[in-house]
Amino acid sequence: MKQEFTLILYADNNFSVLNRIINILNRRRVRIKKMMAHENEDDFRRGGVVMLLFVTPDLMEKVKLQLEKLIEVENVTIQEGSAAYFEQSERIVDVD
Amino acid sequence: MDALLTKTEALVVPTKKKISGSEVLLRSLVAEKVTTLFGYPGGAIMPVYDALYGYADQLTHILVRHEQGAVHAAQGFARVSGRVGVALATSGPGATNLVTGLADALIDSTPIVCITGQVFAHLLGTDAFQEIDVVNTTLPVTKWNVQVTEAKDIAPAVAKAFYIARSGRPGPVLIDITKNAQNELIEEFEYKHCESIRTYKPSPVLQISQIEAAAKLINSAKKPYILAGQGNILSGATKELVEFSEKTGIPVACTLLGLGGFPTDHPNYVGFLGMHGNYGPNVLTNDCDVLIGIGMRFDDRVTGNVSKYARQAKVIHIDIDKAEINKIIKTEVAVLADAKEALQSLIKKCDANKHTEWIDKFRALNEIENEKIVRKEFNPSGELVMGEVIHLLSEMTKGEAVIVTDVGQHQMTTSRYYEYKKPRTNITSGGAGTMGFALPAAIGAKLAGPEKQVVAVIGDGGFQMTIQELGTVMQYKVPVKILVLNNNFLGMVRQWQQLFHEKRYSFTEMDNPDFVKLAESYRIKARKVEKREELQSAIREMLEAKSSYFLEVVVGKEDNVFPMVPAGASVSDIILEAPTSV
Repeated sequence: MKQEFTLILYADNNFSVLNRIINILNRRRVRIKKMMAHENEDDFRRGGVVMLLFVTPDLMEKVKLQLEKLIEVENVTIQEGSAAYFEQSERIVDVD
Repeated sequence: MDALLTKTEALVVPTKKKISGSEVLLRSLVAEKVTTLFGYPGGAIMPVYDALYGYADQLTHILVRHEQGAVHAAQGFARVSGRVGVALATSGPGATNLVTGLADALIDSTPIVCITGQVFAHLLGTDAFQEIDVVNTTLPVTKWNVQVTEAKDIAPAVAKAFYIARSGRPGPVLIDITKNAQNELIEEFEYKHCESIRTYKPSPVLQISQIEAAAKLINSAKKPYILAGQGNILSGATKELVEFSEKTGIPVACTLLGLGGFPTDHPNYVGFLGMHGNYGPNVLTNDCDVLIGIGMRFDDRVTGNVSKYARQAKVIHIDIDKAEINKIIKTEVAVLADAKEALQSLIKKCDANKHTEWIDKFRALNEIENEKIVRKEFNPSGELVMGEVIHLLSEMTKGEAVIVTDVGQHQMTTSRYYEYKKPRTNITSGGAGTMGFALPAAIGAKLAGPEKQVVAVIGDGGFQMTIQELGTVMQYKVPVKILVLNNNFLGMVRQWQQLFHEKRYSFTEMDNPDFVKLAESYRIKARKVEKREELQSAIREMLEAKSSYFLEVVVGKEDNVFPMVPAGASVSDIILEAPTSV
């Protein structure tokens, strides 16, 4: 059964990293409901993405492992529901 | 006068010599101990080719006839040598011609680095001549890729590329270098090898708790069963696998890419897995109580219908890639580790045991296969069949040649009947199933192991997909042996059409050229065999030839490869012959 998950990802920031992340989701037909990407305030060479996804728990876990395989990706966390998404994205907006 | 003096003084100040980005690239490759490059020049990579002219004593460049040939040759080189293979191409179509090989190398975990030229940085995104967004095009088919627009970034990119390509689960990496970066002059540099990347952890630390959990299952198992994949070969664990199997008495079957990782003449070897694998190994997957996958990924050609696969078994999965665990088959115990390290620990923790009756069950089932299929294939009447050719090749090379196969019936037949004895002797396109792989891969394989007998076994369809590489064989006098099994059909597709599409042979029959004349036009000694009594002498002549040799063997047009797990069926529903209705 598909449900909402918040995906929080930290990575080195370069021209292709966002495409790599999106590619993994697209290939597995994972629906992205919302997304916010940012570079770090104090170091533009690092950044992060927070996404609200609609996906089964099983596929969510497999996608997490694929994202962790990306060379630039430092850390991926998953939380059920959308609360974490709104909390994270507001924090990013506040910083900006 | 003052000005002149100043100028003179400036000249005597010691300055570091400046070199171009292209030379930085070549020096970096030399520092990575690269000896052989496979490539094809073009506008956007010309500065590198110009620099290469001065590096002939350090880098051997093989001019292929198509960029796909370069990448497959690099793959063959890597698979035989265990080192990183390197291919060079220009921008645009030169780069996109690499895509198939990159995809092949990614799914088959082959370490290669491809270097592509790119248009000047100021032209990026302007639809300039031969400008294609290569980084985004190759992004899903590489382990990592990067675009470099400044000369100072070339050496670090090469260092990172080689580290990523060969570490952890190996894979292909692409570096796209803009022409201005190739031309740019920078001060001489000291090459620094890459030894770690902050965000990349390729080698998981072996957890002893996982080994203990696996050993507990293995020690109490009545019918344990090992499925050995290519990870076993890549980690250099073949000796440990034999030792583990001998101590525990557990039977071993190999996946397509795992062949060569366990000697086929070992008493614990029970056969080849998969859609056209052996009868016993497929059927008894659904009978074992503990299934131990080592460096393999439960590919759908191995599992058949996943919902009916080894449901009764507790699965232990040993793999270096965390994303492979539980991807296809639910695992009872996951051992996230390099195969060699895991096996060394398991050997210590597992009890000595014997499973004679269990292994006999494999033998009994394989005997049914021998009776119904193998003996007939080895001693046929009428037209020549693929099985007897491969059986003879295996006997005459004592199972010790490097065999490079393409994709299709000949590939499955070779995997079934060639009796591989050593690792890195089975070079084939597994996961991607790339027709056209074998001829260029065999060139790379022979250059990686000039002392080895390298035989490319190819069907008439796949041969014509990269047939232009005969030119490379000719120009560099690569003494590779080319054995084409010609049934004038795209045989595997035809087999499916016969079995599952009511014999509607839709566009699978081929009107082929005179292959012998064609090979001879490339100054390659060639022979065609249509009669059984000529086969042995022809294979001997091919094997004994000091130079390249082309042998065409005409085989039955409508022969099938059996056994077969029909698509969607369980591995235990493997069939030994065509249903009577077809």
